[in-house]
Amino acid sequence: MDYSILLAQAALNGLVIGAMYMLMAVGFTLVFGIMRVVNFAHGEFYMLGAFTAFFTYVYWEMPFVVCLVIAAVTVGILGMLIERTLIQPFRSDEMSGMIATLAISVIIQNGAVLLWGPSPRAMPDIVTGTLAIGPFSFPWSRLVVIVAAALIFVAFWLFMQRTRLGRAMRAVAQDTETALLQGIRVNYIYPLAFGLSVALAALAGALMGPVFSVSPFVGLTPMLKAFVVVILGGLGSVPGAVVGGLLLGMIESFTATIFGSLVSDVLQLLLVILILLVRPAGLLGQREA
Amino acid sequence: MEGSSSAIGRDGPAPAARNRMLRRAAIAVLLAVALVLPQLTANQFYIHLANLMLLNSIFAVSLGLIAAVGQISLGHAAFIAAGAYVSALAALTFKIPPILGIVLAGFTTGLAAALLGKILLRLRGVYFVLVTFLAGQVFTLIALNWESVTHGANGLLGIPAISLFGFPLSTRLRFYYFALAAFIIVLTFVWALMRSQYGRAFRSIAENVRLAESSGIDVSHYQVIAFALGSGIAGAAGATMVHYIRFLSPDSFTFNDSIAYITMLVVGGRQTMLGGVLGALFLTPLPELLRGLVGAQHIVYGAILLAVLLFLPNGLVSIGRSLFRKTSGAEAPK
Amino acid sequence: MRGFLKVALLSSVFAVSSYAAEAETLKLGVLATLSGAGTAWGIAMQGAAELAAEDVNSKGGLEVGGKKYQVEVIAYDDHYKAADALTAFNRLVFDDGVKYVVGPLGSAPALALLPVSTENKVITMTMAFTPKALSAEYKYSLRPVIPSDVFSDPQIKWVVQKLGAKRVGGLFPNDESGQQVGAANEAAYQAVGAKFVAKEFFERERVDFVPLLTRVLAQNIDAFELDGNSPQTAGLLVKQLRELGFKGPIIRTGGDATADLLKIAGKEATENVYVHQPINSELASIQEYTKRFETKYKVPLNAFSPFFYANVQMLFAGMQKAGTVTDVDKVREAVLGLKDFDTVLGKVNWIGQAQWKSNQQLDAPFYVALLKGGEAHVVAKCTPAVCE
Repeated sequence: MDYSILLAQAALNGLVIGAMYMLMAVGFTLVFGIMRVVNFAHGEFYMLGAFTAFFTYVYWEMPFVVCLVIAAVTVGILGMLIERTLIQPFRSDEMSGMIATLAISVIIQNGAVLLWGPSPRAMPDIVTGTLAIGPFSFPWSRLVVIVAAALIFVAFWLFMQRTRLGRAMRAVAQDTETALLQGIRVNYIYPLAFGLSVALAALAGALMGPVFSVSPFVGLTPMLKAFVVVILGGLGSVPGAVVGGLLLGMIESFTATIFGSLVSDVLQLLLVILILLVRPAGLLGQREA
Repeated sequence: MEGSSSAIGRDGPAPAARNRMLRRAAIAVLLAVALVLPQLTANQFYIHLANLMLLNSIFAVSLGLIAAVGQISLGHAAFIAAGAYVSALAALTFKIPPILGIVLAGFTTGLAAALLGKILLRLRGVYFVLVTFLAGQVFTLIALNWESVTHGANGLLGIPAISLFGFPLSTRLRFYYFALAAFIIVLTFVWALMRSQYGRAFRSIAENVRLAESSGIDVSHYQVIAFALGSGIAGAAGATMVHYIRFLSPDSFTFNDSIAYITMLVVGGRQTMLGGVLGALFLTPLPELLRGLVGAQHIVYGAILLAVLLFLPNGLVSIGRSLFRKTSGAEAPK
Repeated sequence: MRGFLKVALLSSVFAVSSYAAEAETLKLGVLATLSGAGTAWGIAMQGAAELAAEDVNSKGGLEVGGKKYQVEVIAYDDHYKAADALTAFNRLVFDDGVKYVVGPLGSAPALALLPVSTENKVITMTMAFTPKALSAEYKYSLRPVIPSDVFSDPQIKWVVQKLGAKRVGGLFPNDESGQQVGAANEAAYQAVGAKFVAKEFFERERVDFVPLLTRVLAQNIDAFELDGNSPQTAGLLVKQLRELGFKGPIIRTGGDATADLLKIAGKEATENVYVHQPINSELASIQEYTKRFETKYKVPLNAFSPFFYANVQMLFAGMQKAGTVTDVDKVREAVLGLKDFDTVLGKVNWIGQAQWKSNQQLDAPFYVALLKGGEAHVVAKCTPAVCE
């Protein structure tokens, strides 16, 4: 195997995980930007999305696109309910809100273990086969993830920029007081934003299900990575989440390929701690007022 | 805090003196019970549980010390583990007697926390929580990979028990009295600390950082002290535990344990030192009672935590306090 | 205050209730991972204990020294954590008064419990592969399953000779089994003339192996070793290896993972995969046990279960031979004295004198199988000495 193949594989892989990290991080940072909530349960919604897609795809045998929609909608609605009942009481107390999301994550994860058992389920590839370009071979199942994630993000971006609801959300993120004065119903925006955020996580989980298999424990790592990306890109910044996500994916892929995974993991964590200490606002974030 | 100080001001000295006597009597009774109870049961398992309850109380109270300056550490388990490793390695490699190892562990972790704290405590609120979470992960990775020192995932086996003047604490009962003594020492220390000028400074920082700063309190200085003391005590307690369990691996104290200690603190009551103790005493034996519901255990934990946050934000302690206030009749009008 | 009172009250209730149930019951403890990852093994162990208990209870009880005993199985979850295992073990030994335990499961819990079980004379039947679990020092620790220390050498020798592989690569999780297995494999391959050219470690939770596999493949390996990995990880590795275009043979010199390999990687990818098979699924006794287990527990049988079932049967036979259920030393002697004992696995013995200075390791035949068209076909039968 020569270096060009090595690099090409690393690059493709970096894009795939980068795309997943991006979806996770965008949702996570959205909730923080708008509601100042650090959602420790974010990874569990990824997991729920993966399971929903698994059941609809394998047992109901629906076309994958439909499965994606179902996953996003069901988890999104669940998210809205959770926000209304369990997170809203903590709007004035950030710390308690954070601990509450910790509790929620424990409940969801163990609930999943109780309902579906701890063993991973294998999900068949959406598309089989590989794309061969010269000496490189790229599995279609991974290429599909990149394309789908890109499309989902574009849809999200258009929503935020072009629709009234999206603009309202951005207004609340910028300045809640002024948004209230302008007549924006903040009490509706919050659950919607939370629902949207976890729907993105669910889509990420659904897309990665065939690649990594589905179990109640798959949410842990994506959440950790979402933290890392969001700190890298800046808490509250969506462009930061995109750049950060793709960047982290590439860093992880290349360092793991060149140095091995243990060094890669430690390097990533140290990088993030460094950023928190030197420039807590991240690459593209707003400075805390 | 509220309680006695306002009672002195408004209702005169008599109810306050009565409160103090009641409190002292209660402590004396509890002490007597704690000393005698284990002699009454032949069941080693309950003594083992009691030991775990005492150790968890110390972990929770030390976390509470850090919470006293308004910061939540999600990496507490890492300091506990660090203390455990220091003492275990000291005993295994350098044959340092465990009792010294515990002291060494406390100092090293406290010092490390002080140094780290100087850098990390520049961050506030969620950022601090996140960075302690990440620091905890880094520690676990180091413990796993620095095999030449920690033996990686295989862990350290055959760690010696504590020996007091040649008398080994090799049974659960003997260890119980040591743990009880440690528990009392830690509680007394923290109580005294919170009553001192330090405690007052901590409380004003926890209430409002900006206000504290502008009234001349060196916030970072006090925060570092709280963080160093809290983590140092935790490290010493971790060392104590490791000489009881006598086995240590990176799996012994993980992020899940950090969550457990936060749960104990929150469920017991964040505002007072007693809260950590109550939370630990209540939550430690709970898994044993729930053994029938395999798997549902964690859900019950999570549900309890959520319920307390939503409906009893000041923890179990607040139940006791409202009862106490009603029975003692010392109504301080607010 | 309140918490303490509550506990004091509850403890007195427990104390009273435990005295009540003495009668003629023989308590058999199970200490395994019954939740989270590793549950498949835990249920395999619990099932083995319960089925063996069922066998004797349905005949009116186990007859020992003129008395009949009903076997009661008490199972506790250890969450695969050493500290939790210690607590659960304390409860079994001191609260429930158990002297015979099926478990513990993992190496970390096993190592943590050894001082306690030895000091209190409790026979444990562990699944831990770590060589430290067996020794003359820990004389009550038995191991019914065949660990890699025993099966890897003959299997690797046979596989290397058959395939003529010279350069081997492998990925191992960074935990106690992975680290040990990695080292053991390297030595074993070296001993038969092959070289382990790529050995990578990863964090247990990792599911994306493409960067690491890319690294390994860059070393031009002839064969890939799956040992030390959980069944699910093994499946992902096979799948991702094939996606990266590796067509060579893949070897699983480790615990039973065949079901997951097929489920996760699919039939096509698992062609040309050699697996270690602890049991011969073509034996009638095994098929019968499998059916019984799967009907009762509704999960696929994990191949370790029959080993524990056999061990418990030997325990009962030993008790009968010794004429006592309470004198643990006599029972231990009787059990370890059983030779060519007939079980669902075939005839079994105890070995281990050479490696660990004490015969506390169960010896049963094991097999090498080749996966073809989605099924495992036995291609060699093995003893600790050789495979053919």
